[in-house]
Amino acid sequence: MKRRAANLLFFILMCVLAVIFVLPILIVLFNSFKGQFFIASAPFRLPTVDTFAGIRNYVAGIEKIGFFSALGYSFFITVTSVFLLVLLSAMTAWFLVRVKNRYTSALYYTFVFSMIVPFQMVMYTMSRMANLLGLENPVGIVVLYLGFGAGLSVFLFSGFVRSIPIAIEEAAQIDGCNPLTMFFRVIFPLLRPSAITVAVLNAMWIWNDYLLPYLVIGTRYKTLPVAVQYLQGGYGSRDMGALMAMLVLSILPIILFYALAQKYIIRGVVAGAVKG
Amino acid sequence: MGRSLKRWFPVFVLPLSLAFLIAFVIPFLFGIYLSFTRFTTVGDASFVGLSNYVTALTKDENFLRALWFTVKFTVVSVISVNVIAFLFALILTRGIRGTNLFRTVFFMPNLIGGIVLGYIWQLIINGVLLRFGVDITYDATYGFWGLVVLMNWQMIGYMMIIYIAGLQNIPPEMQEVAAIDGAGPLQILRHVTLPLVSSSITICTFLTLTNSFKLFDQNYALTGGAPGRESSMLALDIFDTFYGAVGSEGVGQAKAVLFFLIVAAIALVQLRISRKREVDV
Amino acid sequence: MKTKLFLPLLLFSVLCVFTGCKGNKDEIYYLNFKPEVASVYDEIATAYKKETGVNLRVATAASGTYEQTLKSEIGKTDAPTIFQINGPQGYAAWKDYCADLSDTDIYKHLSDPSLALRTEDGVYGIPYVVEGYGIIYNEEITDKYLALKNRATDISSMEDIKSFATLKAVVEDMTRHKSELGISGVFAATSLKSGEDWRWQTHLANIPIHYELTEDGKGLTTIPDTADFRYANEYKQLFDLYVNNSTVDKKLLGSKEVADSMAEFALGKCAMVQNGNWAYGQISGIDGNVVKADKVKMLPLYTGHDGEERQGICIGTENYLAINSKASPEQQKAAADFLYWLYSSDTGKEFVTNKLQFIAPFDTFEKEDRPKDPLGSEVYRWQEKENVQNLPWTFTVFPGQNFKKDFGAALLQYVQGTKTWSQVVDTFKNRWAEES
Repeated sequence: MKRRAANLLFFILMCVLAVIFVLPILIVLFNSFKGQFFIASAPFRLPTVDTFAGIRNYVAGIEKIGFFSALGYSFFITVTSVFLLVLLSAMTAWFLVRVKNRYTSALYYTFVFSMIVPFQMVMYTMSRMANLLGLENPVGIVVLYLGFGAGLSVFLFSGFVRSIPIAIEEAAQIDGCNPLTMFFRVIFPLLRPSAITVAVLNAMWIWNDYLLPYLVIGTRYKTLPVAVQYLQGGYGSRDMGALMAMLVLSILPIILFYALAQKYIIRGVVAGAVKG
Repeated sequence: MGRSLKRWFPVFVLPLSLAFLIAFVIPFLFGIYLSFTRFTTVGDASFVGLSNYVTALTKDENFLRALWFTVKFTVVSVISVNVIAFLFALILTRGIRGTNLFRTVFFMPNLIGGIVLGYIWQLIINGVLLRFGVDITYDATYGFWGLVVLMNWQMIGYMMIIYIAGLQNIPPEMQEVAAIDGAGPLQILRHVTLPLVSSSITICTFLTLTNSFKLFDQNYALTGGAPGRESSMLALDIFDTFYGAVGSEGVGQAKAVLFFLIVAAIALVQLRISRKREVDV
Repeated sequence: MKTKLFLPLLLFSVLCVFTGCKGNKDEIYYLNFKPEVASVYDEIATAYKKETGVNLRVATAASGTYEQTLKSEIGKTDAPTIFQINGPQGYAAWKDYCADLSDTDIYKHLSDPSLALRTEDGVYGIPYVVEGYGIIYNEEITDKYLALKNRATDISSMEDIKSFATLKAVVEDMTRHKSELGISGVFAATSLKSGEDWRWQTHLANIPIHYELTEDGKGLTTIPDTADFRYANEYKQLFDLYVNNSTVDKKLLGSKEVADSMAEFALGKCAMVQNGNWAYGQISGIDGNVVKADKVKMLPLYTGHDGEERQGICIGTENYLAINSKASPEQQKAAADFLYWLYSSDTGKEFVTNKLQFIAPFDTFEKEDRPKDPLGSEVYRWQEKENVQNLPWTFTVFPGQNFKKDFGAALLQYVQGTKTWSQVVDTFKNRWAEES
């Protein structure tokens, strides 16, 4: 009885906290329907007849930052990078775990080492390198994400590979599989749960990344975060309304995706954290 | 397997390794080299020994100020995020109604990018401060607490689900046995629950630690370092040094190397603690 | 073994081919400084392509990030061919990339060659727009004030304001009568949000520093190592006048943006705002704008300096075009051809006058090619006034971004009461010495 009363109390507390957690997004949402000069001066006031701007902010924002092309670039870069990262780092990890020699372990430790290096350390030199090799486009930047994301992904996959009993592989080898078919038929399916983890962690990072796309492709191809930052005013003409509308539109795909794949995302994040 | 697989190196390892070489290994090594030079483009680097490091640590007051700001921010965030996340996790493992929904809601902010988060909170914090007639650029203290609030909003859900996973691994019998032995709820928490989730605590502590320490986007969008550069954290200060003025690239790179060394030191400590724990268990 | 190499090599080479296809080598790449006209440049690129077949690519840096963006772009293989420098300060930073423009057509058509950015060796920057700023006022409101029976001043028109003392008397009297005038303050908000404070840390500071440097016989070609900020008190007088007779409380100024100030002006909530002719598009573009086009006028920035009766508005430029000397000779020529086209062909001039609304400093522009917006006309009016000395844009010799940022931040702290005026002056002097 006492426990039930306590639980009711906790339930109410959680409800209040949940509202507090959602509130910032709701505030941005209703502000996005207000005229641009009524936002900063009274952010907590709901739109009224006088201040209601309809979808004008959305129209202005979409036009100003080229929202749909930004969405397209973000989507393309994220999907391609994540797909290749999952595939290539699973292959690399399997190889590095199964072939043991000085070189593979040196390579493995270099991958692991890269995890602790902050981006600022390679910010300048990496963008120069990208320029030298002509990687300054949505396809080229994928190479950079592969390289910079390799560390964590290889590390996570290696942990999972080690838990695969070698007997399975030996059995497959007797059946005459070559390594490539073995990898795709036997190993990769076993790695599926960890592939989800790697995909989720990398997708969250790449989708939201600002500095790398800004420095490498920012003037030509704006990804969503770069485009949103671009609204930060042009010589005294920051349009708060458009900013609010674009904040809403950039949150929207994330929330949709989250609603669809919630189970995998949470599971992936937990597994990633525990292994990492 | 090993021997026949070995020949497949070009297929399995080479593609990723090349990308890794381009995006990490070469830039990293070159970055270390450049930190000892004066340069405006990669081609015109001239060796200057340690002078960039000397400038970063002595003449340029911004670096040490940013370091101190970052350390303070990290300590406050690590404690607040973890305490609150742990309490949330405790409540959400009691089997109350709507647990899944709550978990979903609390985790959601974690998926939103730093730039967007920065602008969301800039609006809200400025809205609150409006009542006191100031805004977030008034004083670095506001920027500091703004960042703490933002960080909590973003990270609590993430840490909470890790704690929940840890708590769910505790066999319920253990708490029941303790309860039968006459332990109160607080004693159970202190002597049964906490020790059993200590590995989650380590994980969460280090995740919040490194995330707070390396924070850039949120800082950039929320305050941009204002007033002046007083609310700049390390990552932002390095960025400003690099791209804010011509001629200070070498100093920027030296700052970046120092930043890397600090982050590496934190990671090593983490490694030692988790190793030690594995041995203990 | 060899066959096994094939797949990844193929993969990699495909990747390289894909990514290797970069921008056309003959392309002109212009890194534009003015976000407010970014879309006009897209139209210009289309028109230029249509007329000449040459590709022009225009990228625009977000506000306050031009130097950052230029810095990250210029080292690249397909670096900007045309970029902007903001005066001697910019030239000092970018001189390795500035080609000598003395043989270009565009230079030869400068109406006043002394406007160009020159050293003994050559010409490195061509001003492409001349702008003027001062105190913009809404004549409808000032007329209403002049019609008041119980006003405390005796001026008969706004033209009679020729000194700080008169300006102060008028402004303060207007503040007393603000309800009758239907305004919430005389001046629009003094926007001091970081990145929105350029009207004060450069434009207003232009006046005292101009007098200081002229007194010391220093020209506008190099950045002085130090500055005394000798006339800081004169700066303070006008700045205080803005802040104390404003539409908003001092403490809120840190959150105000230029856009807020211009909206207040456009909506008739205030009578005056310090800004330049470029702001007219912003004023007229605001929903619910009540300011009549023929009632927008401009007044000089009087700070109480000796002899300011003959001082005019500030006319000059901080927008110089430079051509990247590291680009190939063909690209450099293509860039020079494009600039000449833009400022001399009928199509180009049409864009400059009506879309960009630039006051172009070239002799290819006749009187009828002038922009017809009210503030542009005001600049011409001041330019043609006799017995008036318009001031140049001395702030182009101010040190870099960090100096300006810190000076702006100090002004904000002064307004909010956390810094004294003498600390602001110290910040100004110290940061100047450090950054120059």
